[in-house]
Amino acid sequence: MVLFGVDVDYLAFVVLFCVGLYMLVRKSNLLKKLLGLNVMETAVFAFLVTAGMIEGADPPIRTAGTGPLFANPIPHAMVLTGIVVAVSVTAVALALIVQIHAHYGTIEVDELKGLP
Amino acid sequence: MRWLGLALVVVAAATLMLGVADLPPHGAPDAPVHTHVGARYLERGVAETGMRNLVTAVLLVYRGFDTFLEVVVIFSALVAVVALPRGRAARPDDGDDRPPAASLTAEGPAQQLVSVSPVVAFVVQLLGPFIAVFALASLYRGHVSPGGGFQSAAIFGALFIAIALVQGRERAALLVPRGARVWLQALGPLSFALIGTVGWILTGAFLGYPADAAAYALREAMVVAVEVGIAVGGAVILAQLFMAMEG
Repeated sequence: MVLFGVDVDYLAFVVLFCVGLYMLVRKSNLLKKLLGLNVMETAVFAFLVTAGMIEGADPPIRTAGTGPLFANPIPHAMVLTGIVVAVSVTAVALALIVQIHAHYGTIEVDELKGLP
Repeated sequence: MRWLGLALVVVAAATLMLGVADLPPHGAPDAPVHTHVGARYLERGVAETGMRNLVTAVLLVYRGFDTFLEVVVIFSALVAVVALPRGRAARPDDGDDRPPAASLTAEGPAQQLVSVSPVVAFVVQLLGPFIAVFALASLYRGHVSPGGGFQSAAIFGALFIAIALVQGRERAALLVPRGARVWLQALGPLSFALIGTVGWILTGAFLGYPADAAAYALREAMVVAVEVGIAVGGAVILAQLFMAMEG
């Protein structure tokens, strides 16, 4: 299905990515910023998996009764790597947010501005 | 400032739309992404690696170094989180011009007293063993069917967090033996380094796997060892990350 000259799967990626970017840039709450970052990551993962897919193909697990077309295994493996990196980034960011909360009692960026 | 953020989003959207507009039709078998090395992996992957799940084959054999460092990344994340100085002790005492901070510290101990709904507790108790068996199955069968070390680690980690929420952090912490914790959370990188060295001795290449049919059982054992390392190490790291988040 094509919408605005672009396949609707790719359009969904663009929309999801921009929703995440908007949250990251415009929200003042650090947790919401982190959520936005995660939405952006999810959009990229969905895009990569979509790119590896073939119409009517089987998953890349070669057991009896599958084939002859298989989806591309490389994007799947790359997305797995990406998910692990995303989890690591989220964990470190969450720990920092917890510490900021403990230090200043707020995680709003506009309230944090100018605090020592 | 208000329009700057919006303008950034609009520019990003326009750039991305330009990018995806030039992509080949979605799902076409002759798109460039499918005609490079991916086609070769699909064709010879089973013969070369002995794994029917080609995602695992790419992950552990063709791109083994990538996965090795990926395990190191999540271990480094745990190191970074644990190494952060504890906030409350570090806060200067002259902070009387910041009243919100005081109200926050008072909530700290109280959150342990929040009781969990009996329905949630019962469901976690009921489903816990099945979730654990599912995680084990996806670990053990990961190279011949959907699943694998990382998926298993995620399921185990989620189970641990569910138990910690229902039974409390203290009882959940007993699931990871205190003495073995230091080694268990490094199990991913350690098992990868060990199996990589074994492969080095056997085949002359780090992370190499013996390819001949006679060594089938040995190769199988090496793959399962790496997968177990990823799963147990990853699950313990996820559990430790959760335990370290106490604010």
